[in-house]
Formats: sequence, C-alpha cells, structure tokens
Amino acid sequence: MWGEDRLTALADDALTTGEAVEVVLSRTDSALTRFAGSRIHQNTSRLDGEARVRVVREGRVGVVVTNELTADAVRAAAVRAGEIAALTPPDPHFPGLTPPGQPYGRTSGPDEETVGCAPQRRAELVAAALDELPAGVEAAGTMETSVQERAVVSSTGVRVYSAGTRAAASVLAQGPTSSGWAEAGATSIGSLDCAALGRRAGEKVLLGANPQEIAAGRYPVVLESGATTNIVQWLGWLAFPGRAYNEERSALSGRLGQQVCSPLVTIVDDALSPLLPGAPFDAEGTATRRTSLIEAGVAVGIAHDRTTGALSGTGSTGHAMPAPNPHGGVPAHLLMNPGTESIEELVAGLERGLYVTRFHYTNVVHPVETSITGMTRDGTFLVEGGKVVGGVRNLRFTQSCLDALAGCEAVGSELELATDLFYGASMAPAVRLTGFTFTSTTAY
Amino acid sequence: MDRRELADLADLAVAEVSRLGVQHADVRARAEDHESVQVRDDAVEGVSRGTSSGVGIRVIHDGAWGFAATNDHSPDGVRRAAQQAVEVARASARVRGRDDARAMLDEREPSLGSYTTPNDRDALEVPLGEKVDLLLSATMAARDAARVSYVEASTDAWRIATSYRDTAGSSVDQLVLQVGGGLAAYAIGGGEVQRRSYPNSFGGQYETGGWERVRLLDLTGNAAQAARDAVALLDAPDLPFHEDAVLVLGSSQLALQIHESVGHATELDRILGSEAAYAGTSWVSATDRGSLRYGSPLMTVVADATTPYAMGTFGYDDEGVPAGEAHLVTDGILTGYLTDRQSAAMLGEQSNGTARADSWGDIPLIRMNNVSLQPKEGDRASIVADTDNGFLLLTNRSWSIDDKRLNFQFGCEVAYEIRGGELGRMYRNSTYAGRTPDFWGSCDALGGASDWKVWGVPNCGKGQPSQTARVAHGAPTGRFRATVGVR
Repeated sequence: MWGEDRLTALADDALTTGEAVEVVLSRTDSALTRFAGSRIHQNTSRLDGEARVRVVREGRVGVVVTNELTADAVRAAAVRAGEIAALTPPDPHFPGLTPPGQPYGRTSGPDEETVGCAPQRRAELVAAALDELPAGVEAAGTMETSVQERAVVSSTGVRVYSAGTRAAASVLAQGPTSSGWAEAGATSIGSLDCAALGRRAGEKVLLGANPQEIAAGRYPVVLESGATTNIVQWLGWLAFPGRAYNEERSALSGRLGQQVCSPLVTIVDDALSPLLPGAPFDAEGTATRRTSLIEAGVAVGIAHDRTTGALSGTGSTGHAMPAPNPHGGVPAHLLMNPGTESIEELVAGLERGLYVTRFHYTNVVHPVETSITGMTRDGTFLVEGGKVVGGVRNLRFTQSCLDALAGCEAVGSELELATDLFYGASMAPAVRLTGFTFTSTTAY
Repeated sequence: MDRRELADLADLAVAEVSRLGVQHADVRARAEDHESVQVRDDAVEGVSRGTSSGVGIRVIHDGAWGFAATNDHSPDGVRRAAQQAVEVARASARVRGRDDARAMLDEREPSLGSYTTPNDRDALEVPLGEKVDLLLSATMAARDAARVSYVEASTDAWRIATSYRDTAGSSVDQLVLQVGGGLAAYAIGGGEVQRRSYPNSFGGQYETGGWERVRLLDLTGNAAQAARDAVALLDAPDLPFHEDAVLVLGSSQLALQIHESVGHATELDRILGSEAAYAGTSWVSATDRGSLRYGSPLMTVVADATTPYAMGTFGYDDEGVPAGEAHLVTDGILTGYLTDRQSAAMLGEQSNGTARADSWGDIPLIRMNNVSLQPKEGDRASIVADTDNGFLLLTNRSWSIDDKRLNFQFGCEVAYEIRGGELGRMYRNSTYAGRTPDFWGSCDALGGASDWKVWGVPNCGKGQPSQTARVAHGAPTGRFRATVGVR
C-alpha cells in the first residue's frame, strides 16, 4: 500500500493546470485463484491503478484517464482534459465540483491479513473447500483478495483518502446429474469459512441428484440470499438512479411516499457499512452516507450525483459513478434488512413451491415495470409440505422485481455478500415470496 | 508508450522470467488508448480519453499456471511481477485435482511477425470538434423528425498496441484499431420507455479500421427514421404471446443469437469446464464433433479472424497464433470448436487462434473472433414475401441464456406482423424464447450475400476477473420457429 500522502500527492501538480480540476485516484492490488475440475487452473495477480482527471472550464468538461501513477502523467492528463474541455460545448447542467467541508464518515479500513495474503494462502483455502466435497463430486470456483486505495483531490479543496480490503470465495460443486453453489464475501479473509462453503455446495449436489422437470408457471418461492441480492441489484439499476427517476423512466418516478412492496422489505444504500467494501466518498468526492431507499415497503429515497441532485433539488446523496457518467447516481452498496427466520423456517412456510439457490444471466425485459428474465442454476429444489423433497431442472423466470418483493411474506436472518455478473457488492437476505413467474424450462 | 518502448518492455519481461527456470512463459506488453464521445440532444454528455499500459507475465512452473501483471514499467517492477508469477504458479501446483493434471500447450513453431489494422485515418487523431459536429448533426436530425423524449449518439475509438514474446522465441508486434458509432432515439410516456437505435443497439456498429468506417454509417441520414419509429412504438400494442410462431429475425438480432447460442457454446474451455462456476459450460461435448446435429442443413458457421473491417479481426491472437479460420458448424453438423493452445493440446490438436486477453493485466481466454453464419439466398424482403403468417423482429433490446447455452430469451426493439407475405402492424416489447437445437433446427430460410452483414459486439463478458472482448458476427436475415411474446 502507498498510503494517503503518496497517493494524494500525485494530484498536486495537476491542480495547477486549470481553473477547476478534480483528480480521482485509485491503486488496486488484486489476486484471484480460480479452480475447475477440483484443480487450480487459472491463478492471477494484478497491480494497477488509475487517475481520472476532470477539468472544467466555463462549464465545459473534459475527462482523461491514465493508469500511469506518476505526478507527470497525472499532470499531463489534466492538461489534455483541459484541451478537451476547451473543444466541448458548455454543459448547462453541470453543477460544479464538490465543495470542501464534506461530513465524511469512517469505514473499517484495510485488514492486514488480507493485504498480505500470499498465493499459498488462497490455495490452502481452495484445498479446504475441496476437502469437504462428497465422494464423486468435483468443484469449480474462486478465491480472491484485493486491497484498494482511493482518493479524491480537487481544486475546490477536497482532499480525501480511503483504503479497504475485500475477500470472496465461491464453490460450484458438480455431480453427475446436479450441481450446488455456495459463496461468501467479506472485508477480511479471516472471515471466510471455505470449508463450510465446500460442505454446503456438496450437500446441494446430493440433495438435487436426478432432478425432475417441473412445469413452468407461477410458484411460491424461497430465494437464497444470492438470488434476492440479484433482484435488489436490478432495482439499483432500474428504479433508484436519479436520472431515471427525474426522467420518469423509473418505476418509482412520482411514487415516493407510496407503498411499492411488502412492509417486510427495507432497503438502504450504505457504503459505510462494515459488512461491505466501501469508501466514505463517491467518485465526485461527495460524502457517502446511509441512504434509505425503501422503508417498510414504502419508496422513500433516490440515489443522486451532483448533477441529478441539483436538477431534482435534493442535492447529491453521494452516489456518483466515475465521470463521465450518464446514469446520474447509482447505489452500489445496497443492503436489504435481514429478518428473523432461518432458512429452515422459510422453507417450512411453503406448502408447495420452489427453493432457488441462485440466478444466472439476468437481464431487463421492461425497465419501468422492473421486469427481468433469467435462469435458475446450481440448486433448484421442489418444496412440499414445508420440506425440500428433491431437485428440479432449472427454469427461466420473467418477473417484475418490485412485484416479487410485494409478495415478500418472510425474511431470513442471514446476509451473504453477493458478487454478481455486471455488478459490485451488495447484500440481501433469503426471502419467501408468495409468487414468482417461471416462463419456461431447460434440459438439466 | 510508443511501440519501441512497448517492445522493450516485452523483451525485458521475457528476459526476467526466463532467468527463473520456468517451463514456459509468455508475456504481453500492451498500451491501449480509448476515446469516447457521447452527446444527448444538443448537449455533449461526456468526452473521455483514457490510456492504460503495462505487462502481463504468464508462466508454467511445477506443471502449473501462474500469472502476474503490473502497471509499473520499471525494471524492478517487471522483475517483481516475474517473481510473483512464479510464486503464483507454485501455489497453483498445491491443488492439482484428483488426476494430478499438468498444464500443457500445443506443439507449434514460434511466431515471428507484425500486423497493423488497415485504416485511412486513425480515429484517435481526428479532431474532437469533427466528432462532436457529426453526432450533434445526427441528434438534431432525429429531433427535427419526431417528438422524441431524447436522442443519444456516441462514438468510440480504440488503439491497441501489443508486443508478445514467449520463451520459445515468438516475437509478435501488433497494432489494432477499432471504432464504433451509433444513435438511439427514446420515447417515454404511459409507463413505457421505447427506443429505436441505428444502426444497432448498445452503441451502434463496431468495426476495425479508421474514422472512415464511422463516416460510412451515415448517422445523420438515418436518424429521422429511428426517431419516428421510437415515437410510433409508444402507441403500438405489445407483441402477443404465440407458442411455436414463425419468426423472421433481422441480421443484427441474428448476429447476437449466433453469439449467445453458437459462439459461446463452441468455446472449448467452456466445454471442458474451465468457466463452469461463472459463465457456465455448454450443451456441446468434446466428443460431439462430426456427429451432433446443431441445426438445419442451411446452417454453416465459420470463425474467421481475417474478415475485413470486422470487430474480431486481428493478425495474431494473444498466444502469438496467426489469425485463421475454423468451421464450427457445417450444413447443420458440429464440425469444430474455438480453441486456444491449452485446450487444443487436451484434444491433441493445435490452437485455431482464439486466445485473447482484455488487457495487459488479464490472461488470454478463448474468445470469439468473427463467428459468422454463412449466407444462402434472397434477402429480408424475399423472406418476408415468402412468409404467410409470422413476425419480423429487429434490433436487440435484451438477452439471456442458461449456463449450458440451451434455453434463451431475447427482447427486440420492434416487431412487425407478417400476413400473406406482407408486413403489417407494429408491435412493441417484443420477445422470443426457445432452446438452441430446436431453434437452429427450425431454420428454413437464410438471406444471401447482399443481405449479409457483419455486426460488432463490443461487450462480450467472460472470465474471472471479468474480461470484456470486442467480437463480431456476420449474419443474414433468417427464418425460424420460436415462442414469441413472453412477458
């Protein structure tokens, strides 16, 4: 790690090049050990960084990015950004750079063990997961660690730095006719129990062996934490962004204060949470804070950056993405409040329905309705009389996220950090929903 | 970095790692420049320019793979990365699986050569004002034509210089230029967001070449129709549900269908299980070649990394293998796989040159190049005229497919009824769904060479850490059977 002084000093020369300059810096040391067929087949380590320089001249904005972390390179990027700005028409909506004096909170900071994690340690954790597999079951998955330093320095006087760590592991257990999945993530490698992940994934293989085809249709479901998180993350893209809200492209446009889903559902965005790898500032240097989005089923908040926050009159909520950003504030640290029920209790409440471990390749069908489609995978089970009775072949769903959560009748007590296709880190608990629409089946 | 500095960086890296006694090492020193210009209506939304450079070092040591990459170009930085790659490989050797597997590569002669994308005018050298003027001209033309809510237009340009070296003596230097451009008109109202894009969705068309390829798109001349269609979609009915409907797909939508249900399914690393935990595996097996019926006899699919102007065209892949072609499906029968040096060796074969890395910091994976469905005869008009009762669907809006590439569901921007060989009413929110072999088996018409177009796909995701590849697919209009109107 470089530390605050060395990282932020990179920006000092750049600040002298224009009337309004913002430098967003990051330096990331990451490693990912990947296994398949129960052996490590890809194993990578990467040291990289970025200086994203935004220069504003009379309302004209230019952005230049470089991964060369030297003061000369950052200054050169600022000069080039200024040249781009000069060639660009003024942006009438640009609200200016973030002013100083932001009320920055605190995050947990880097975990020393994760920072110093050697490749052998990751391999040992992979081996620990594999040791728990039942006979005849192979596995694929990942074990990853990263440490990231971030800073924002600007000509308005903003100068802020943060460092954090992340560790995550996943296990896909594969049997002759079924598969099982378990994953976990945390801000420290010591929090991961990879042996438990191996056990859980392996148990699902046995439980789901020889899956039966079940007809597509509407079923009550229990969604595991990862599947629920996928739905919540889609709300993060479709419903909560400030620009979509302002332009009436969001399902929540004009509905703040209204009941939009079950009273059991409360969703916040909180980059300061110790559960998630986050920073006390966003990509504009605005302070992040716990932001209520849905409270007891009522829509109460929207995520804004400085531009959409100014247009809506609310101001930024600390959700800026890296410039130039057409989305206008996106919540990247979503947390859905846990409830009190164990997985067994959630299942016990299902007379007949489906238990879903995870979703695959979800994508938008109708943005305003928050309707998405995707597949189940790696552990889809039939529940009868409150008990899992066996595996079923995977199904495709086409379902509104908000409508699904409107039927939330029970919420689980445990949260898992989910890493997902196309997205970062969020957490939501397992839930039981009164109905979920499956539109077709597949062959396995 | 200039190309001499890049070559020096690659030479330094291979020299450093060679000292460490590895069985094999290959290095990629790369400098990538990117510029993106986005406008919305009469305003410039964003102009960004980026550069990223570094070196990635991949080794086989103790019979296992290791990789380390760094943006630190100094001799000390490169030396540390080489040592880290070896340490990572030693850790990989700790978990070899039940069959004690060893890393392997195909047998081949070292590659020596260079390649530069043919171009008239490097898009990164074109003045910014010229790009802004072109895009604003297009958005204004759209706004003048219809009462759209807003219109977006964008252009992107990449310049990717790579120096590849390996311990077998390969030395390849390559400069690939890629460009893209397009527009999208949006109409919002009544709980609907409707969009029509030109020439394709998700940023338009993407090709290799210079700025001249963007000029040829004629964004301004095609903006008005996109705007009128977007507004008309607001009042159109939803495409109704029909099971086993006759479906005519436009060329760009069929290109994405090829991508998802043929390209990914024939990647040998997926088939062998390397991607199982993330993107998934395949319904195709490593023993299916020559016997599996993939689709109707009309279906021939070829992967060709030399297709002129196509987004997946290059001179050498990221293992130094010269660009070439491979037949994946011939007359409806599976006849090949996309391979890299590692997966090909597992079949006792040679790579067909599809290994590519997203950046200097990523390992090469099997990636599609230009995976294209070969044309037959006729065109969209003649296929529609030959269709008694069905639907024409155009321009992708969403996509999803299962982890074996069997069950898929796509959404399109617009659909039209076909009755008695003629186009009828317009539908919005159109979707279709099916299973891969059923869908391709139902193909009974494909357009000819004049109807065939290569479409760039700039956002193909794969691997962990996640990588994005820019690939392409040639496709004509095609006719199939599928379920439509799934909501």
